Amino acid sequence: MVHITIDGKTIEVPEGTTVLRAAEKAGVFIPTLCDHPHLTPYGGCRLCLVEVEGMRGLQPSCTLPAANNMVVRTDSEKLRASRKFVLTMLFSERNHFCPYCVVTGGDCELQNAAYGEGMTHWPLQPNWQPYTVDATHPYFVLDHNRCILCRRCVRACGELVGNFTLGFEERGAQSVLVADLGTPLGESTCISCGTCVQVCPTGALIDRVSAYRGRDTQVNHNKTICVGCSVGCGIDVLTRDNQIVRIESDWDAPVNHGVICKLGRFVPLFEEKERINTPLVKKDGKLKAATWDEAISTIVSHLKPLVNKKSDGVAAMVSTRMPAETLYLFKEIFANGFKSDMVTSSEEGIPSAAPAALADELGKPFEGKLSALENADCVVIMGADLINKHEVAGFFVKRILPKGTKLIVLDVEDNPIADLADMVIKPTKGNESDLVKGLLAAVAKVGNAKATVKIQPPSLEKVESTTGVKSEQLIECAKMILESEQPVFIYGKGLTAQGSAEAVKPLLDLARLCGVISDNYNGLINVKGKANSLAAAQYKLDQPFALNGHQAAYIVLGDDDPSQRLIKSLEKAPFLAVQASYASQLTAMADVVLPVQTWAEQEGHYLSLEGYLQTAKKSVDAPEEIKSNNEVLKEIASKLGIKANGEAWQKQLTARTCPVSIIEI
Amino acid sequence: MAKPKIASDWMAGCAGCHMSLLDIDERIIKIAELADIRATPITDLKEPDASGVDVGILEGGVNNTSNEEVAHRMRARCKILVALGDCAVFGGVPAMRNFFSIEESLRRAYIETESTDAEGKIPDDPELCKPTRVRAVQDVVPVDIFLPGCPPSADAIYYVLSELAQGRIPVLKDENLHWH
Repeated sequence: MVHITIDGKTIEVPEGTTVLRAAEKAGVFIPTLCDHPHLTPYGGCRLCLVEVEGMRGLQPSCTLPAANNMVVRTDSEKLRASRKFVLTMLFSERNHFCPYCVVTGGDCELQNAAYGEGMTHWPLQPNWQPYTVDATHPYFVLDHNRCILCRRCVRACGELVGNFTLGFEERGAQSVLVADLGTPLGESTCISCGTCVQVCPTGALIDRVSAYRGRDTQVNHNKTICVGCSVGCGIDVLTRDNQIVRIESDWDAPVNHGVICKLGRFVPLFEEKERINTPLVKKDGKLKAATWDEAISTIVSHLKPLVNKKSDGVAAMVSTRMPAETLYLFKEIFANGFKSDMVTSSEEGIPSAAPAALADELGKPFEGKLSALENADCVVIMGADLINKHEVAGFFVKRILPKGTKLIVLDVEDNPIADLADMVIKPTKGNESDLVKGLLAAVAKVGNAKATVKIQPPSLEKVESTTGVKSEQLIECAKMILESEQPVFIYGKGLTAQGSAEAVKPLLDLARLCGVISDNYNGLINVKGKANSLAAAQYKLDQPFALNGHQAAYIVLGDDDPSQRLIKSLEKAPFLAVQASYASQLTAMADVVLPVQTWAEQEGHYLSLEGYLQTAKKSVDAPEEIKSNNEVLKEIASKLGIKANGEAWQKQLTARTCPVSIIEI
Repeated sequence: MAKPKIASDWMAGCAGCHMSLLDIDERIIKIAELADIRATPITDLKEPDASGVDVGILEGGVNNTSNEEVAHRMRARCKILVALGDCAVFGGVPAMRNFFSIEESLRRAYIETESTDAEGKIPDDPELCKPTRVRAVQDVVPVDIFLPGCPPSADAIYYVLSELAQGRIPVLKDENLHWH
C-alpha cells in the first residue's frame, strides 16, 4: 500500500493504482476523456493532467502510478489553463457542432468537459475540412467529424471483445479510425456487439435507433438481464414513453462486466416479426380474432377430456426462453395435472440432459464458472460454437488469446473460432465424445497427469480408426493441455447431444487428469443453450418431443421462434393451442393462439449457464389485451380444475443436483 | 448615471434567439427599467444609434457581405459586443453549408429544391450581397461576451442582460451554460 495526498486529502491505495483512480477514491474529480474504467489507461487526451510536487511539468494522472508520499494537486490556475487549452485543441481538430449532434445536452463527455471548464466558445476555429461519415453499418454510424482520437473504441474492441476490428491509420492530425485495413464498417469483420458505441465519449459512434429519441435525462434506465442465451448478461434497457430506445450493457453486471453481443444490444430493436395483439381461434379453417373468454373456453373444452390421459392426452412443450416461474407452472399443469408423458422444453434436453444426468449420478455439481477464463492459459472448446451462439463467452475466450493463451478446438463441424486456434482437431468420423476418449488415451501415454483417476481408455490406434484423427495429433494436444497451468474446457452440444451421462463422464475424467478440475479450481464449462435451458433441465423438462398418440398439443412459445422440427412434428396434431407473442408458421397452424408478453414486458427468473439465478425485470408495459405467460397458464389450470400455482418454482429448482452450483444474485 | 443603452441585430440565424429573449416574459419590463432598449429587429428602430450604445447584441453567424456590414456596424457602435446563440458563437446550423462549396449550396437552394420548377435560377442582381463562408461573429469582429445555446435559455439571456444593465460582466456557468 502507498500513501498519496491529493488536494490535501491523504489516502492509502494499493501499489500500482493510478493517480486518477486514487483521486476517485479520495472523492476528487479529475476530468478525463480517453480514460475508461474498464479499459487500459492510454494517456492520449491530456485532459487529466495534474501537478505533482517534485516532478517537472504536468503529469497525466491516468497513466501515472501513485507513489508513496506523492503530493498531487488537481486544481490550479496553471491546470485550468492547460485543460482549456487541451479542449480548445480538441474542438479545433475536427468539426464538433453541438446543436445538431445526437449526444448534445448531457450525453457528450467532450461537451461536459468544456462546460466543466466554463468554456463559452471555441477560441480556435474548427477544422472545416469535411471528414467522412461511414453509414454502411446496419446498426450504427461512424462520423469522423466528431472523433477525438481517444481510442476507447479501439481498446474496447480488442481488450473487451477480442475482435480487433478497429484500429488507427496514419499519425498525428492525419490519424483516422479504421475498421480492418480501411474497410467500410458494414463490410468489415465487425461483429456488431456495439461496445465501441457505448464507450464513445462523443457523437462519433452513434446508434441509429436511439438517435434523437431522448437524452440520458429524458429516458428511464431499467437494469435487467438479456434472455438471448444462457450466458445471462446484465443489460440496461433505456425506455421513453413505453418504448425501448436503446439497450446498453451493464458495467456492474457480475456475468458480463459490461460487454454484450448484438443479440442483446441491437437485434431486439430491429424486431420485424408481426406481433399478435388479440386471441385467435380457428373457425371454418381460418384463424379469426376472438375474445379471451372464447379462446380459453375453446381450449378448455378440448383439453378437459384429456386430463389424466398419460399417452393419449396432451403433449406439451415450453420454450426455454421462458422464466423459471413459467417453466415450473407449466410442468405442474401438464406433468402433474394432466399426467401427460410428453411434457418437455423446446430444447428437448439436447444441451443439458446429459450433464444433468451426470450430476444426478455424482450427487454434486462438477462444472465451474466463466470467470475461470480470466487467467486461463489454455482453452479447449469441444463441440460448442462461441462465435454465433453464447457470443459473450466467445469474447471472454478471444480477448485472452493475445496474452499467449493456447486455443484448441475439437469439433466435428467447421467451428468458426477455429481461425484463431493453435490446434484444430476435426474428426472425419465419430464424434467429440470419441475424441475425448482419444485424449484420455493420449494423456495416459504422455504421463504427467495432474491427478490420479482410474480410467480405461481405448488404445490410440482404436481412436484413430474410429475418428480418423492421428495419434500424434492427439498426443500433441494432450501435451499442450498438460503443459498449461490453468486450462479451461468449454463443451457444448457436440458432447451433450448424445444424451446420456456416459457421454460426459470421460470428459470429467479428462478434466481431472488435466488439472481443469482440482480441489480449488474448476475450469469445466458447459455453454448450454437458451436463457433457461439449465432451469428446464432442473425441472426435468428435457425429453425429446414427439406427438405420439396424443390428442392435443399445448405449446408455450412466448416470444421464441418455433423450430422447423417442432412445426413438422405438430402437423398431425388433432388440436393445437399456442401461447405466442409473434405470428409464425406455428401460430398459423394452431387452432387457438393466445397472445402473450415478450421478454421486455414480463418478469421472472433465469438460471444462467454458470448457475447464477437472476431476475429479468419488466422494462415496458405490454399492449392492452396481452397477458403474461403465467397469467394464461393459471387461467387455463383454474378452468380445468387443475391445482397449480407455480409457487414451488425456486424450491424445485434445487430439488435436483445441478451440474453447476446455483448462486442467487 | 444614465441607463445603459442596448441594441441588437440579427444575421445568419433563425430569429430563435430573439424569440428566446422574448421568453423572459414580464422580466423584459425589469430590463426596460434598468436599460434603454434601442434598435432591435423586433422593434421599430432597426439600426443601432450612430452615437453609439453600451451593449450590442448579435444573433446569427456571418454568411454574406451584408452580414459583414451589420457585424462591423454593431462592433463600431457598441462598447460591449455579445454573441447571442450558437450561430453567433460557433457558426451553428448555417455553418453546415461550409462543408460544401458556395456554388453547390446555391444550386441546391435555388435550382435543385423539390419545390422549384424548371425556372429555378440563382439570384445574380448586382445589388444583392455576396454569399461567403459561414463564420462565427468572433471570426469577423472581436466579441466580448459569448452566450451560446440553440437557443440560449430565457433565463440565461435574462441573467446576461440584467448583469450588463447593472454594469457587471456576466460569467456563464451551470444551468446558464449550454451549447444546445
